[in-house]
Amino acid sequence: MATPTVTKAGTDVDILSGLRRKSDIGGVLFRWLLLGSLLFTLVVLVVLLGQVLIDGWPILGSRLGDFLSTGLGSKPETSGIVQGLRGTFYLCLITAVVAFPLGIASAIYLEEYATRGKFATFIDLNIRNLAGVPSVVYGILGLTIFVKGPGIGAITGGSTPFAAGLTLACLVLPVVIITSAEAIRGVPTQLREAGVGVGATKWQVIKDHVLPYAAPGILTGTLLSVARAAGEAAPLILIGSVTGFMSGHPAWWDVGQVRESFTAMPIVITAWARQPQEGFKVDNAAAAIVILILFVLLLNSAAVVLRNRFEKRREG
Amino acid sequence: MTTTAWDISTLRGDVRRQRKERRVKVIMSAAASASILVSVLIIYSLVLEALAFILEVDYATLIDIGWFPRRGIFDLRTIVAATLIVTMIAMVVAAPLGLAAAVYLSEYAAPRTRKILKPVLEILAGVPSVVLGYFALRFIAPNIITNLFSSAKPANLAAAGVGVGLLTIPLIASIAEDALTAVPRSLREASSGLGARKKTTTLRIVLPAAISGLTAAFIVATSRAIGETMVVYIAGGAADSAIQTYNPLEPGLTMTAAMASVASGTDNVAGMGLTFQSLFFVGFLLFLMTMTMNLIADRFVRRFRQEY
Amino acid sequence: MTPKKLKFLAVALSLSATAAACGGSSDAAPETGTDGAAGGGDLSGEIVISGSSTVEPISIAVAESFAAENGEANIQVSGPGTGDGFLLFCDGEIDISDASRPIKDEEAQTCADNGIEFVELKVAIDGIAVMTSSENADVECLAFGDLYALVGPESTGFSTWSDANDLAVEAGGNGDLPDAELVISAPGTESGTYDSFLEIVFGDIAEERAQEETTRPDYSSAADDNVIVETISSNPTSFGWGGYAFAVEAGDSVKLISISEEAGGECIQPTAETIASNEYPIARDLFVYVNKAKAAENPALVAFVDLYLAYGLDEAVSEVGYVELADEAKAEAIAAWEGR
Repeated sequence: MATPTVTKAGTDVDILSGLRRKSDIGGVLFRWLLLGSLLFTLVVLVVLLGQVLIDGWPILGSRLGDFLSTGLGSKPETSGIVQGLRGTFYLCLITAVVAFPLGIASAIYLEEYATRGKFATFIDLNIRNLAGVPSVVYGILGLTIFVKGPGIGAITGGSTPFAAGLTLACLVLPVVIITSAEAIRGVPTQLREAGVGVGATKWQVIKDHVLPYAAPGILTGTLLSVARAAGEAAPLILIGSVTGFMSGHPAWWDVGQVRESFTAMPIVITAWARQPQEGFKVDNAAAAIVILILFVLLLNSAAVVLRNRFEKRREG
Repeated sequence: MTTTAWDISTLRGDVRRQRKERRVKVIMSAAASASILVSVLIIYSLVLEALAFILEVDYATLIDIGWFPRRGIFDLRTIVAATLIVTMIAMVVAAPLGLAAAVYLSEYAAPRTRKILKPVLEILAGVPSVVLGYFALRFIAPNIITNLFSSAKPANLAAAGVGVGLLTIPLIASIAEDALTAVPRSLREASSGLGARKKTTTLRIVLPAAISGLTAAFIVATSRAIGETMVVYIAGGAADSAIQTYNPLEPGLTMTAAMASVASGTDNVAGMGLTFQSLFFVGFLLFLMTMTMNLIADRFVRRFRQEY
Repeated sequence: MTPKKLKFLAVALSLSATAAACGGSSDAAPETGTDGAAGGGDLSGEIVISGSSTVEPISIAVAESFAAENGEANIQVSGPGTGDGFLLFCDGEIDISDASRPIKDEEAQTCADNGIEFVELKVAIDGIAVMTSSENADVECLAFGDLYALVGPESTGFSTWSDANDLAVEAGGNGDLPDAELVISAPGTESGTYDSFLEIVFGDIAEERAQEETTRPDYSSAADDNVIVETISSNPTSFGWGGYAFAVEAGDSVKLISISEEAGGECIQPTAETIASNEYPIARDLFVYVNKAKAAENPALVAFVDLYLAYGLDEAVSEVGYVELADEAKAEAIAAWEGR
């Protein structure tokens, strides 16, 4: 109780000791506030997943197999998502086939070949800007160039998975480049020097040492970009994927369908969510969401696991 | 194995090998140019029809009662205001949550806690935007917005804004965390050494030191929120057109949702008059807006990279 | 683009013919009861249908039935609106245009200019339902004059129902509308339902009052009947109109308002009976338009239209909630198709 009033020097000492003894309420509160924000985000995520699971349960619990293998229909009870699944599968495939080689090669160029000049800076800036262009604007690119572009439209067949896949490839290209470049940047210089030292050419060093070392990092980025492509709806709406009914059940492996009209999971979900019938806008939409989330989260968690192992190896 | 005299050409190596090297370099640089081609094509796609819109539109229709592209009424204020409303609400939600998450992860969390909590943000980052649109429509609007504000419409811009905000939390958190981690340890140590508490160090030293990186995080997130389409398209409550409103509790169309609406339903964009061109004009505006913000953000990023 | 696309299609389809077993994975479609030409079972080819979202459900029902028997057929149906449908149809981009009003002269002219010949087939009768939310207990019956006052050209700016009272009385309605916020959700100009509604409800009043036959511009319009119904059901004091079948499909969430032509007249609730008997005053015919040239080169399209005129006009129409045509009208449609 009695506060010792002492000399100036004594006061200083007292403050320090006070610091140690008194609990720092402000600090504890602050810490909990920060943690609380993070936990709040976690709660949101749990509520979101819970909501779609509850909404989608009537379908997931009773006719999952049927839901996965039937096509769109006029009644909620007989509608399924097989066309959406197939569409999304082919979109991801085309996106990957186009964006990965281009993106990884760009990253190799930027990290290994480009001299730090104006051109490299420009490409770099351009890529980072592209990464921030809204996806709906990529839809305009797809509509003008890949769907209606003279010559190109005839090759893609118009509003098809081919055209949409090319568009999504453009969309994820910056992400692939940025993550691959980061992974390549992380490769120790000694590795390159050692390779060159024993007489390997630059390409041999890249091919045999840099890329294998950077592979997990690159793979992480590419998995994330495929997940992104699978979830995109806005560009597909502009490109003209079918938002109404479509029949036609080509086999999964029938590659010809990449040049026919299509729909995709995010589009099916959007179309259903805007219907008035409960069966469509709640049960069916939520069940389709659960399937889409499963697919996307599978890719994402694969990427996260991969990255964690990668980081661990670095640290070790 | 006869020993031959070595000269400078021997060091250069086999001609075929050199040629291959050159070829590889050409291929790689061609690939790198692809990204420039994409930019050029985006601008090309937008400019022609956008220009046609600017030249042909009756300017009186750009300030009118709302956004009714099929009737030739293009009140830009409607969709720009809705975009700003949604973006602002999104940032009010995402900025504090994202920043707090970043500070916790970078300053407080033990490596173990970090490993558990970080994936939460990563999973949220992976949730497709149509899913958040559904969530905003089915959960946020009825359970949160209409409970807080009884005058709110069942589907409204505020719910969409919150949905977009949730979507941008991971983005802010990720960039902000990078910025905070880049602040040198020595600054924190010096601060603690002077007797500052952890909270003081964080608020007075680390955050100010990372300010340019944090600014970049907010700008990038704002740009992302402006460009988000599906959440507003699904949960914004307006279908093909919107009456002008500045009230977040009313339904509305953002620029992006307006574009999707013009294009939805048909397998080809149809519509009388300038409906089709308006799509490109709005897209062009959107492109300019986000590009400006991205470039500004880039400046800030580069500044904080330079600082440390 | 089209010929190349077709050629590719032919290749793709012949490739996939071997995968037929995998193709029609679930044939749990409704029993078809047709005796028409669609019985062949393995017609392939692409059929693209677009236009009115009101006619869309009939076309989808026929398409489902057709696809159940012809697993290789690739049919798409979308519903952007009658006007947009004709735009695409007269561009030669689609095979069948669904329409909730007859083709307009200028649209027919566009078709003619592009060398596109077509057959017009009447397929059903549909009422236009005037709706509000089921929570709105204050409105039971409206006269044409009230409708005109609520959404006609002179109503721009009215934000509550009661704002329209004076005008309603002037225009020959009842007035006495509740003092509640007016949230309108209705078809836009691209919709045939929009045109039909204007013609039937506003026609005389607008002429009398020397006004343009149009609506106020300031309401949230949608081409998709689903979106309209959804908005109406979720706003307690909403007002709007759309296809009768959609309103019925939405069940308890929307309330159908009875309609009288004049103030104080008999209020008629829309039902299948009152629409068929012409008692309900706002009804119109629904059509499909078929591109003749495409029918000539695509046997699947011919079979599809045959099925439309058999199964479609009978079962599909009533199954999705529309009113079947009288037998003479059905015979006329079949004759029109056969005489193409």
